[in-house]
Amino acid sequence: MKASSVASMDVRVEPELQRKASPILTSLKRNKLLYLMIFPGLLYFIVFKYLPMGGLVIAFQDYQPYLGITGSPWVGLKHFERLFTEPTFFMLLRNTLILFAMNIVFFFPLPIILALMLNEVRNKWFKSAVQTIIYIPHFMSWVIIVSITYVFLNVDGGVINELLAVLGFNKISFLTSPEWLRTMYIGQIIWKELGWSTIIYLAAITVVDTQLYEAAEMDGAGRWRKTWHITLPAIRPVIITLLILKIGSTLDLGFEHMYLLLNSLNREVAEIFDTYIYTAGLKNGQLSFSTTVGLFKGVVGLILVMASNKLAKKFGEDGVY
Amino acid sequence: MKFKMKQVGVLLLASVFLLSACGGAKNNGAADASNAKTGANGGNAAVDKPVNITWMNILHTASTPTGKVQSLIEEKTNTKIKFSWVPDASKEERINTALASNSLADIVTLTILDNSSVRNALKSGMFWEVEPYLDEFPNLATISEDKRRSASIAGKLYGVPFQKDVARNGVIIRKDWLDKLGLPVPKTTDELMDVAKAFTEQDPDGNGVKDTVGFIDRNDLIYGAFKTLGSYFGTPNYWQHSEDGKMTPEFETEGYVKAMDFMKATYDNGYINKDFAVTAKTDQQEGFAQGKAGIYVGALFDGKNLLNLAKGIQDDMELVLVNNITSTGNESDRAIWAGNNGIGGLLAFPKSEVKDEAELKQVLKFVNDLMDDDIYALMTYGIEGVHYSIDGDMAVTILDNDLWKQEVQPFASSRPKEPGYKIHDADPLKVEATKLILENEEFAVLNPVYSLESETYTTMGSELQKIITDATYKYILGSIDLNGFKAEVEKWKKSGGSKIISEYEAAYKEANS
Repeated sequence: MKASSVASMDVRVEPELQRKASPILTSLKRNKLLYLMIFPGLLYFIVFKYLPMGGLVIAFQDYQPYLGITGSPWVGLKHFERLFTEPTFFMLLRNTLILFAMNIVFFFPLPIILALMLNEVRNKWFKSAVQTIIYIPHFMSWVIIVSITYVFLNVDGGVINELLAVLGFNKISFLTSPEWLRTMYIGQIIWKELGWSTIIYLAAITVVDTQLYEAAEMDGAGRWRKTWHITLPAIRPVIITLLILKIGSTLDLGFEHMYLLLNSLNREVAEIFDTYIYTAGLKNGQLSFSTTVGLFKGVVGLILVMASNKLAKKFGEDGVY
Repeated sequence: MKFKMKQVGVLLLASVFLLSACGGAKNNGAADASNAKTGANGGNAAVDKPVNITWMNILHTASTPTGKVQSLIEEKTNTKIKFSWVPDASKEERINTALASNSLADIVTLTILDNSSVRNALKSGMFWEVEPYLDEFPNLATISEDKRRSASIAGKLYGVPFQKDVARNGVIIRKDWLDKLGLPVPKTTDELMDVAKAFTEQDPDGNGVKDTVGFIDRNDLIYGAFKTLGSYFGTPNYWQHSEDGKMTPEFETEGYVKAMDFMKATYDNGYINKDFAVTAKTDQQEGFAQGKAGIYVGALFDGKNLLNLAKGIQDDMELVLVNNITSTGNESDRAIWAGNNGIGGLLAFPKSEVKDEAELKQVLKFVNDLMDDDIYALMTYGIEGVHYSIDGDMAVTILDNDLWKQEVQPFASSRPKEPGYKIHDADPLKVEATKLILENEEFAVLNPVYSLESETYTTMGSELQKIITDATYKYILGSIDLNGFKAEVEKWKKSGGSKIISEYEAAYKEANS
């Protein structure tokens, strides 16, 4: 799907070609360089994304490695039945959706705001220094970030808790209480990804025609007005595109991150599809069942991305395809 | 203007794809990090030509061994060994991936026999059944009938069992702190609680600050304190089997609840490190070594490590090992759970790598040779004069601990048999630990279902166990009460636990009829 969207855009550039006997061939010939450029990407998607999809058939089998795909017995929808009847399913769905909603509500707008603010900074040197500093956390792995959090938040000697104690408050066991898990999760994402996420918006802002600002200034618009009436509408397509892509990955909340935060005491809010697939599939070796969970996740993601794309188009935006 | 935005959009999309492509590629690479089979076996080679053996083995240390130990093993066994090390922390996924992609080695160390995919692989006939061959080899023939039965799956032995100490757990206490506060070595759980209380409240390290606690524990209900304390309260080892053929899971017994109450009391009163539920083993041991706590419940031979770790930080540290605590004070109530019934797993031989009987016998011969006294010494202590010195009583002193850790320790977990050798560590704590562990054997509580089959347990057991593990932690930390805990047990039963019980009951009946 992603690959074809790239291709179709290129075809659209020259619609008048589609008239004679084999328009596809003509178009291929005409744009062979363009197609050559697409080719490696296309190959990547075919080899690493489409071919492995064949493996999804094990969701309908009781797959056993020794017997292989051809030898394992077919069991129909047994694993789907198990998935939808297990009480864990609703817990997983709830946790995933809540975290996703928090992600959209609390995290998604932040890079836009930050990018707009950075855009208003006049001092070039100061601006790039700030940008560099806020990009750095992106390059740290989750292991490091979660470890730092652990050092700060643990009850036996964690900096934050010692500080709370000195100030006369009760210590809070951030790491083991379910109430703090989501805050911690979103907080860590903001800390790590906020700076990096501004890049695309900043790039989009640079394209805005400066004449528009000048004209607005003539009309007496202040900074706030210019931002609201010129910059924001100009980057709206970018915002919509990123939002749709984000919604498409709704159920991909990041396995590594959550797995590191997960423990026995916060499981009820922390277990998400990704961690569940890992424990059920790789650790306990229920390959068929975890494939079923993964398939379900993928289908939901596809439906969401198509729905949001349609919605975007309805409101007069471009959408992603 | 609009057109320009479109261009930006395309550029943006392209960059997003590129980024996601990078991310995706990384994942694909990592998934297949397991080993590939190298070199065929020297099946038809001449007698004196070394046999090539590949071994997918578990690594319990941070780095793979260097130095000469491996070449000496090879020399003595007339083999050429190629190890493919699997870090213990990621063994589940690595072994499962290797099984799924059939990229194994001549010898595969399987330590997680209750894992469903390992069990399925064994049952599916992927590995050689070795029992008929064992008696041909002198060392393998000594494996007791009990051990063979315990390591079997549905009555069949699919590999050479690792023979381990049956029950190695106990309590390690700061002797110097006990003496300072004038306390006796505890013999009952109540006395143990008193010690924990005193260690927390009476400033045993004498620095004038209340900065010590009684227990230091880690995020492990089994190898940490909980299961061992459970044994002291009479909890069965996972399952209890009654005369009339009923199977009861441990968490439905009184002992389990008492052990939870004990842990809860230590937690509520602050006699245990507050964050034990998220503490890693290394942090636990370091915390003990730094003098943060005075009671460590775990493997008895950890005493030596703890003392080593404390060198230079807590030089006054003296330890006492205790293995005779009961909740009643009666010697007759002594009990200690047996980890995996004394089986550390299997050395299994996949049919895809070990092609025929002749090859199998070569590999079995190699495993047999590993159990020889001199190779045991090599894999345990290293090379005489380089890693250790030895006295007339076969007591070994390690010369350079760091060198030993780097060059020898990684092999320790590959020994097919651990107890029963003459050569021993001269360290008094280690000698004491060995003695107590041997003593434990008499009071060991076995797991009655260890070799039994339950279809539901194999597929859903570990998922279900999470319900109980989580509920146990919550009870100890006070977020649910006993009724809440019982409700979780009901949930366990409803989600499949009842089936596990009836399947085990049936399997037990069948095995003992």
